[in-house]
Amino acid sequence: MKKITDLIKEKRVYFDGGTGTVLQGMGLPAGQPPELWNISEPEKIISLHNSYLDAGCNIIKTNTFGINRDKFSNYEELIRAGIDCAKKAVSGRTEKYVAFDMGPTGRLLEPLGDLSFEEAVSVFADNVRVAADCGVDLVLIETMNDSLETKAAVIAVKENSSLPVFVTNVYDAGGKLMTGASPSAMIAMLEGLHVDALGMNCSLGPDIMLNIIGEFEKYSSTPVIVNPNAGLPEVKDGRTVYNIGEDDFSDYMKQLAQRGALILGGCCGTTPEFIRKTIAKTRDLPFVYPEEKNITAVSSYTHSVIIGDDPILIGERINPTGKPKLKEALRSGDMSYILNEAVKQTDKGVHILDVNVGLPEIDETEMMIKAVSGIQAVTDAPLQIDTTNFRTLEAAMRIYNGKPLVNSVNGTEESMKNVLPIVQKYGGGLIALTIDESGIPDRAEDRAAIAEKIIARAAEYGIGKKDIIVDPLALTVSSNPESALVTLKAVRLIRQLGVKTSLGISNISFGLPKRELITSVFYANSLQSGLNCAIMNPFSEAMMNTYYAYRALNMLDKGCVDYINYASALQTNTDNQTSENEDLHTCIVKGLKEGAVKYAEILLENTQPLDVINSHIVPALNEIGTAFEQKKAYLPQLLMSAEAASAAFEEVKKKIPSEQTDSSKAIVLATVKGDIHDIGKNIVKVLMESYGFTVYDLGRDVPPEKIRDCALEHNCRLVGLSALMTTTVPAMAETIELLNKTDKSIKTLVGGAVLNQEYADMIGADFYGADAMDSVRYAESFYS
Amino acid sequence: MSGIEIIAADAEEIEINKRELAARLKTDADFNSESVESCKQRLFDAIDYKCAYIKAEVDLSKENLCDFGFMKVKSVKLYKNLFGCREAFVMAMTTGIAVDRLLARLNMLSQAEHFITDGLSSAAIESFCDYACKKMSKGYICVNRFSPGYGDVSLETQKPLLARLNADRILGITLNSAYLMTPVKSITAIMGIKSKLV
Repeated sequence: MKKITDLIKEKRVYFDGGTGTVLQGMGLPAGQPPELWNISEPEKIISLHNSYLDAGCNIIKTNTFGINRDKFSNYEELIRAGIDCAKKAVSGRTEKYVAFDMGPTGRLLEPLGDLSFEEAVSVFADNVRVAADCGVDLVLIETMNDSLETKAAVIAVKENSSLPVFVTNVYDAGGKLMTGASPSAMIAMLEGLHVDALGMNCSLGPDIMLNIIGEFEKYSSTPVIVNPNAGLPEVKDGRTVYNIGEDDFSDYMKQLAQRGALILGGCCGTTPEFIRKTIAKTRDLPFVYPEEKNITAVSSYTHSVIIGDDPILIGERINPTGKPKLKEALRSGDMSYILNEAVKQTDKGVHILDVNVGLPEIDETEMMIKAVSGIQAVTDAPLQIDTTNFRTLEAAMRIYNGKPLVNSVNGTEESMKNVLPIVQKYGGGLIALTIDESGIPDRAEDRAAIAEKIIARAAEYGIGKKDIIVDPLALTVSSNPESALVTLKAVRLIRQLGVKTSLGISNISFGLPKRELITSVFYANSLQSGLNCAIMNPFSEAMMNTYYAYRALNMLDKGCVDYINYASALQTNTDNQTSENEDLHTCIVKGLKEGAVKYAEILLENTQPLDVINSHIVPALNEIGTAFEQKKAYLPQLLMSAEAASAAFEEVKKKIPSEQTDSSKAIVLATVKGDIHDIGKNIVKVLMESYGFTVYDLGRDVPPEKIRDCALEHNCRLVGLSALMTTTVPAMAETIELLNKTDKSIKTLVGGAVLNQEYADMIGADFYGADAMDSVRYAESFYS
Repeated sequence: MSGIEIIAADAEEIEINKRELAARLKTDADFNSESVESCKQRLFDAIDYKCAYIKAEVDLSKENLCDFGFMKVKSVKLYKNLFGCREAFVMAMTTGIAVDRLLARLNMLSQAEHFITDGLSSAAIESFCDYACKKMSKGYICVNRFSPGYGDVSLETQKPLLARLNADRILGITLNSAYLMTPVKSITAIMGIKSKLV
């Protein structure tokens, strides 16, 4: 018998249809898992399969959709029984295949859920090993509504079998997965993982899938599967029925086939008759295998970014080179600084974020995993994983939700033999640097030659030109006068090789004054030479000006809409310089962060930094604080004011020489062990910072020992503890006891929804803060 | 999908209950501000309300045991709540996962906006729950809804309840190991049916 992967290249192939609907017709009670019948009623499962095979389908799905080790302790027995039923049904028939059916785990992966990526891979891997041992023809990963879980399942199949992998995801009527991915994002990721067929199933009827198939037509070079429901469900007399009958269903399926779907079947509500009619109406349609699309794409968990004629901006700010604050954040494990940088850059309009966390004194792999996972929780921009450590690269590519850019491979043997297999396995766009064992060539032609060498080598690993983006390296023009011209020529030569290009633009101006002038003109020249991607600083107005102007001038911005919006925003910023009725004090009281920063800057031109704090920031904070205590202002207003004050305070700090910074006012803050609620603690943090306290924030669910160690390390005598749940108050008591035992001079202030003065006294706290302002007053008095 | 019905709504369709919001933000009921309004607009872009529910028979023949067929709940409080009912609506609903992402993002950027948005989204899901309950109970007289985690009904009850509603597939609601739901702004509840409106 032909392999299924060969058959789908030759002809249209058909899946079976729904399972639950048919089995309920055979007497399966509502709410009972159908998989249990693999053991208790195998003849009925075989009969189900036979009915679909008789209808003419080529592939039957094993009755194993919901089975995994978390849901069924006898998962292995259930899988074996399910596969046995399917194999009995296809036995003696020709060109009939058994797909091992694998559905989602039912849990959400980190960072939003609590299932780790590796645990998810392990759950799927247990299933795959059993299926491979039983012998099936392919694995169908279906009804997946999360891209990262889909990736975990595909990796589990690839690492534990050599079986072909088909994948179908569940899209809503808007064409998105439940967790946000578009078809183009899923196609980019799944083609990177080398699945054999991909598409959509469940949730929608074929009529609505017709609205989504266009994106598959446009982006997929892989055969497309369509297994719709029989329309939308309706409840009639306590039973669920679907609103599309066999005739309409098969008419729609014909249209889907005409739009390129090569593998057709059904899902909920469909029966053998749906499949029989679908086959009858589509089997004689012309068979056209999808053409290679040659699209250079990377993706996140929501969308893909296509690298083509429209210039792509890659934010360079998450890279410790020359950034002392980021270095400090990496050393202290301060993820909030890194995540803030990520969000601010995407707000400025970058398409992709470069992530480099390499410092000699930290565990780069551990930090990269934290950074990638953390950044993907707060922004949906695709990431460029930037590391020279191969172990770090593999770890990051594995858990990355989507198809990343990889920065980078170069022309050295060492780099190519290590990086290319990783990119082959996980899929990614690949930045290729034109440097090899002899260094960076002086001549553009020699840089192009290195690019050719890398392209040829990548092809051996199945990595095509479409996934290669060559960076011919911009060296600083101050020490290499020919650098700009050579690099521009290299960009032109490399584009002729049929690959895309990228440059770290800012390097060009290193060592020169007013760097933006040089950098932005070089960027314009590079774009004119055919540059696709720029690794750049999105906070540079000159660079953003160039980007928007270039797009407007080169017909990449229809109606100049983006340019006009950008220019209008610039104009608004200029117009709103100052207002007669505003000053730093009123901005803080009103909670206007941008205004507070602006007026702090103005004041600092003629006022001593400490006077700005003592005569403007603190009085304003006291005013809103008093209003809050008198119940004339509310917590949201207090918080907005505190943030405005903190932002102004940051401006002031820049003007104070570091030796004069008062770090004596400090507090350790933590939500105690077992408690994951941190809103209250975070409110106290914001207020403390606005009053100039140094805050060592340990986060939530913090063990007592960690709190003690932090207090001792920073010689901090004030510790604030928060708890929301009654069950975690004992952990608070335990922490206070440990602190008292360690050093009696350490004072504890406690707060949280379940606490009151009586409780606080009982557990030996030094102060009970009824609200955040109360806590600040105590901390002020402690240090006065 | 047996007998499962869906109620969906756009964010703008559901008026957020002012008292509920005031309780979350710790303000007076008539409090409003530009910052709350701007947080609300951004939250509305993220919200995708969806509710799945069934009408289930409930057998209360054994004291303090509520037997729904697909799950049995031992509880004095729920038994008392459902006393006299033969059927109940069993429901789960959510604002959708985009709200979790928004909250995670704000947690990094602005504690003030995070606090406000968290309060808004809690009030929003409660308001949607009121809306959905009203819609599903049209034509019936129902008792007050009762959620797992309240009184002596453990959070573990959410496992069979969500499984029956196919909630991971239909709503994207999953449970973590502590039986807490993701998306975080989700509600499960049982609402006993006293009688049909005549």
